Amino acid sequence: MPPEAAEPPRGRTRRPVLAHVVGQNIGLILAVAILSASIVIFAAMFVVQQDRLPGSFEITSTVNNTMPLALAAIGQTIVVLTRGIDLSVGGVIDLTNALAAIFLTGGVWHMAVVSVLIVLAGGVAGLINGLIVGFGRLQPIVVTLATLSILQGLAIRVLPTPGGSIPAGYTAFLVNTNAPTALCFLALAALGWMGFRRSRLGVDVFAIGNDEQAAIALGVKALRTKIIAYTIGGMLYAVAGLFLAASATGGDATTGDDYTLTSIVAVVLGGVNLFGGRGSAVGAICGAFITTMIVNILFFAHINPLYQSFYEGLFLVIAVVFGALIGRLVRGGR
Amino acid sequence: MSEAPVAPAEAAGVVGVRVVSKAFGGVHALRGASFAACAGEVHGLVGENGAGKSTLIKLLGGRLPPDTGSVMLDERAVRLSGTADAARHGIGTVFQELTLLPWMSVAENLLIGREPRSAIGLIRRGALAREAEAVLAGLGIHHIDPRALAAEVSLAERQIIEIARVIIRRPRILLLDEPTSSLAEREVEWLFARIRELRDQGTSIVFTSHRWNEITAIADRITIFRNGQEVGTFTTIDEAKAITLMTGRRVDALYPSLPPVPDGAPAALALAHGSLDGRTEFAFSLAAGEILGIGGLAGQGHRELFLGLFGAPALRRGRISVGGKPVRIANPADAIRAGFGIALVPEDRKTEGLLLSLPVRDNLSLPLLRRISRLGVIRGGAEMRMSREMISGLGIRTPTPMQPVGALSGGNQQKVLVGRWLLAESRILLLYDVTRGVDVATKHEICELMVRLAGEGKAILFYSSDTEELAHLCHRVLVLRGGRIAAELNRPELTAESIVAAAMRDAA
Amino acid sequence: MKRLSLSPDALRVLAAYGAAVLLFVIGAFVHPGFASFGSITSILLVATFVGLVAAGQCFVVLVGGIDLSVPWVLNAAAILLATSSLGQDSRAAYAVVLTLGMGLVAGFANGVGVVWLGVPAVVMTLAMNGIIEGLALGLTGGMTCGACASYAPPVIAASVHDVWLGVPAALWLWLVVILIVSFVLGLTRFGRITYAIGNNPRAAYLAGINVSLTTVCLYGLSGLFSALAGILLVGFGGQASLGMGTPYLFQSIAAVVIGGVSILGGRGNYLGAAAGAVSLTALVSVLLALNMPDYGRSIIYGVVILALLLLYGRDQRE
Repeated sequence: MPPEAAEPPRGRTRRPVLAHVVGQNIGLILAVAILSASIVIFAAMFVVQQDRLPGSFEITSTVNNTMPLALAAIGQTIVVLTRGIDLSVGGVIDLTNALAAIFLTGGVWHMAVVSVLIVLAGGVAGLINGLIVGFGRLQPIVVTLATLSILQGLAIRVLPTPGGSIPAGYTAFLVNTNAPTALCFLALAALGWMGFRRSRLGVDVFAIGNDEQAAIALGVKALRTKIIAYTIGGMLYAVAGLFLAASATGGDATTGDDYTLTSIVAVVLGGVNLFGGRGSAVGAICGAFITTMIVNILFFAHINPLYQSFYEGLFLVIAVVFGALIGRLVRGGR
Repeated sequence: MSEAPVAPAEAAGVVGVRVVSKAFGGVHALRGASFAACAGEVHGLVGENGAGKSTLIKLLGGRLPPDTGSVMLDERAVRLSGTADAARHGIGTVFQELTLLPWMSVAENLLIGREPRSAIGLIRRGALAREAEAVLAGLGIHHIDPRALAAEVSLAERQIIEIARVIIRRPRILLLDEPTSSLAEREVEWLFARIRELRDQGTSIVFTSHRWNEITAIADRITIFRNGQEVGTFTTIDEAKAITLMTGRRVDALYPSLPPVPDGAPAALALAHGSLDGRTEFAFSLAAGEILGIGGLAGQGHRELFLGLFGAPALRRGRISVGGKPVRIANPADAIRAGFGIALVPEDRKTEGLLLSLPVRDNLSLPLLRRISRLGVIRGGAEMRMSREMISGLGIRTPTPMQPVGALSGGNQQKVLVGRWLLAESRILLLYDVTRGVDVATKHEICELMVRLAGEGKAILFYSSDTEELAHLCHRVLVLRGGRIAAELNRPELTAESIVAAAMRDAA
Repeated sequence: MKRLSLSPDALRVLAAYGAAVLLFVIGAFVHPGFASFGSITSILLVATFVGLVAAGQCFVVLVGGIDLSVPWVLNAAAILLATSSLGQDSRAAYAVVLTLGMGLVAGFANGVGVVWLGVPAVVMTLAMNGIIEGLALGLTGGMTCGACASYAPPVIAASVHDVWLGVPAALWLWLVVILIVSFVLGLTRFGRITYAIGNNPRAAYLAGINVSLTTVCLYGLSGLFSALAGILLVGFGGQASLGMGTPYLFQSIAAVVIGGVSILGGRGNYLGAAAGAVSLTALVSVLLALNMPDYGRSIIYGVVILALLLLYGRDQRE
C-alpha cells in the first residue's frame, strides 16, 4: 500500500443512510432497473401486438425457462465472490440432468431421495473443484475447464442418447405449467441468500474476495471457505439440472453446456464483480431474467432469431460499460 | 531514570522473542534478536528502516513463523500458527500494511467475527452499523461513518478503524506497527489516550514509530534495533544517543564525500507552478551534477511528486522543463524521451520496478529495446554485451545475466533498476528510496554510485526514508510537508537534525 | 531450490513434447501402424488447426488475458472464406485477405473493449463470440444462402492437402508459423514487451512501454490466428459448416496450458503450446485407436489436464 497524502478528516458531514445503500448496491440496483425496463418494454410490445397484457401463461413460461439459469447463476455468484470462476457449471448440469432422467422414477419418497442424492452428486463435483483450486493453489479457470470436460464425459456415459422420462408429478411440482409457482423456489433461494449473506460463511466468502491476504490476517480460513463455496455452487447447479430435466420432462447429456457461459453472463448483468468481493445473488437472479427477457423482446420485435446472439453480445458489452460508468458516477469518482 | 541499558529480563516478560532469526530470500531481517515487553508498559521499538522492527511485530503477531529461535509468551516458547491463533492468546496487532477489506463497510470491518447476531445465529445487519457507531463512540471517535465502505474513507480514518478493530477485542498484548504513519496530530493524541488507558489496565503494548517525539511521549521503555538485532533497552535516552545507536555510530566517513556542484552547472530539470493538490504551488530546479534530496515524513506527497515528474500520472499542475526547454510529460514514455531523459526508480521494486521472473538481462534492457533493435528484432549480441557491462560496472552479483532477477538479493535488484536507466543514458534520475530494505554493504555501494553519477554530470532527485542518508548524500534538501515545500536546507545547515526539525515542525 | 540446468519453463515444454512422444509410442503398441509416417503426419495435420488457434490464444494468455471468441471468429472466417471466394481460385486471394482482416478486426475490438473500455477479458471475448455468431448466422440466413454451400477454392484445398516432401502443405505452414511466432516471442522487441506486460504490467508501464497498444495488438493477433485456422479448416474439409469452431476453444486453452504457459501470464512459450496441441491430438488418436467412446475421451482429456496442472506445480506468483 503506497502512502498517500494525508487527507484532512472529513468532519461530521455524513451521507444519509440511503446514499450508502444506493452507492453500495449500485450493481444490484442497476440490474433491477434493467430488468424492470425490459419487462416494461416487453409488456408494451405485447400489448401492441396482442391487444392484452402478458398473462399467466407468458409469466409462467418465462419463469420456468429462467429457473435453471437463475439457480446456476446463484451458484456462480458464490464462486465469483471468492474471486474465482466456475466453468464446470455446464458439466454439472449435464450430469445431474442425465442422472435425473435415469433415476427419477417411482413414488414420491423415492423421487425425493433420488433428488437429494443428485444434489449431493453436484456437491461432490463442486467439492472436487474446490479441493483442487484450494489445495493445488491452481487457477480456477483452468481447473474448472478440466472438470467441465470430465463431467461432460460422465454425463454422456450416464445417458448416451437424449431420453428417459421424468414423472409428470415431478414436473408439476418443480415447474407447474399452469401457474408461476416456481417463483416460490426463487423466493426461497433469495431468502437463503439473505441468510448466507448474514452468516459467518457469507462474511468469509466476501472477505476473501475482497482481499485474501487481509482476510487471512483477520483469521478467515480461506481454504475452507473456498472449498465450501465451490461445493455450494455445485449443489446449486445440480438443482438447476433437476429443474431443466423437469421442464424438459426428459434428459439430455448436453443440454447444460450453454449454462457455463450464460451463468457468467447472468452474474455480470446482475452487477456481481468478476474480480470478487462485491455482488449479490439477487442481482444474479435479475441477470438471469434479463437474458430471458431480451430473448422475449427480440422475438416480439420480430428480429430475425438468427441475429439473437449478436444483440445479446452487444447488449452485454454495453451493459457492462455503462454499468461501470454509472457506478463510478454514483460513488463520486472514489 | 538512567540511560544504562536495562536487562530485558528484569521484569517478567509477557511477550517477546528469544534469539530469533528470519530471512527473506537471502536478506536477513532478524539475526538472533531477543526482545521482551512486560504487562502494563508501553514498549517503544525504534530503529531505522530495515532494522527488523516490522518483522519482529509480524513474528509476535503470528503473521510469520521465525526461521530459528522462538516467540515467548508468559516466559514460555509458543508456536503461533496464524493471526487467529495469536488472537486466542490475547495478542492483537495493527500491522503496518493495512488489512481493511475495501468493499465492505466500516462496521463490517470493525466487527468482523463478532457481529451482533439474532437468535438463529444470523448477523443483524441493521444492528451492525448501530453497534459499530456505539463502539466507535465509546473510543471517542465520532467522525467516521460506520456505513461507508472502507475504500471510501480517508487513509487516516482507515488507520483509526484498524486500531479500533484491535482495541475493542481487548487484547492483553497490543502490537502497533507504525500506527501513526498517516495520522494527524489530533488523531495521534487520541491514540495515545487510548494507549495510556490500556496500559493502566495492565495491557502490554509494543509500539513502533519513526517519529521520535512520539516514542518519547508514550513509551515507558525503549528498545533500539539495528541490523536485525536489539542494541539495548532503555528507560530514558536522549535523541542524539538513540540516533547514534540506531545508526551504529556511523561516522561521516561511511558516506562518500560529495564533490561540489560545478559553478554555473545548467539546470537539468525544473518545475514551475507545480502542485500536488491543485491548491498550493511550488517550484524547484535541479542542476546537472547535483543531488537534490526530498525529505519529510512519510505520506507528505513524495510519492506523488516523483511519479508526477515521470508522468505516472502527471502532476495536477506544473510546468516541467528539461535542459531549459519546456516538455510535456503525460506518461512514462514521454518522460523517458524528454530531453536528457528522465528515469524513475520507483518505491516498490517488486511491484513497480522489476519483472521478477524474467532474467536480469531483460530487466536491464527494457527501456532501451527500441534503441538496440533493428526492424523490431533485438540485437541479442549487443543486448548481452551491454548487460554484462552494466553487471560488472555496478557490481551486480548474479551468476549469469540470464538469472531471474527475483532470485537476486534486494540490493542487487535495486542496482538492476538503476543500471537499467544508466543503459538508457538517462541523465535525470529520480531515485525513490533506493536504499530501502538493502543490506548495509550494498547500501554503501549505492551511495557511492550516486555520488559517482553526480560527478559525471547526472542530475539526481533523491528521496530517502533514512534522514541521515539525505543529510550526507545531498547538496540540498527540500522538505515536503502536506504536499508543499516547507523548507529548503543548504549545505552548512544541512544535517539529519535540521531535516527532522523541519519535517516535524507542525507534527511535534 | 533445486539446481537444475534447465529452467522450469523449459522443463514444462520438454514435458509437453515428452508426453507427445510417449503417446505415439503407446499408440504404436495398441495399434500397429499408429506410429507410421503416414499416421503421424495425419495426426499432426489435425493438430495443426488446434496449434494455429493456440498461437493466438498463447499471445493473449501471455498477458494474463483469455480469448473466448475463438469458436465463432473461426467459424465466421470459414463461412466468409467460402462465401467470398465462391470456390473460385481467382477470388481466393481476395477472400483470404478479407477473412484475415475480419479476424483481425474482431480481435482488435476485443482488445479495445478489454483495454480502453475496461471490460473483463472473459466478458468481452464472450460477448464478441455472441456478436460474431449472430452476424454469421444472420447474414447467411443460418447457412442457407446460395454462396454458403461453396467449396473452398482448389488452391486453398491444395494448400492444406498437397504433399511436399511427403508432408502435407498445411503442416509446412504450421512449421513456418511455429518458427515465426517463436521468433517474435523470443527475439523481437514486441515479444519481449509481451512477456514484460504479462509479468508486471505496472513495471512495464513505468519502463516506458505502451501497455495498452501492445495488448490490443495481441488480441488482434488472436483473432487473426483464429481466422487463419478457419480458412485452413475449409480447405481441409471442403465446406464451411455451423459449429465447426466449437471444439477449438477448449482445445486451444488446453494446448496452451499443457504447453506450460501460465494462465496468469508472463511465462511459457509457443513451442510448448504447439507441443500441447500435438499431445492433445495424439491423445485423442490413441483413444480412438483404443475404440474409446466419446465420453471416455472427454473424461481423459480433463484428467490429463488436471494431472499436468498439478504436476507443473502450484501458482508461484503468490
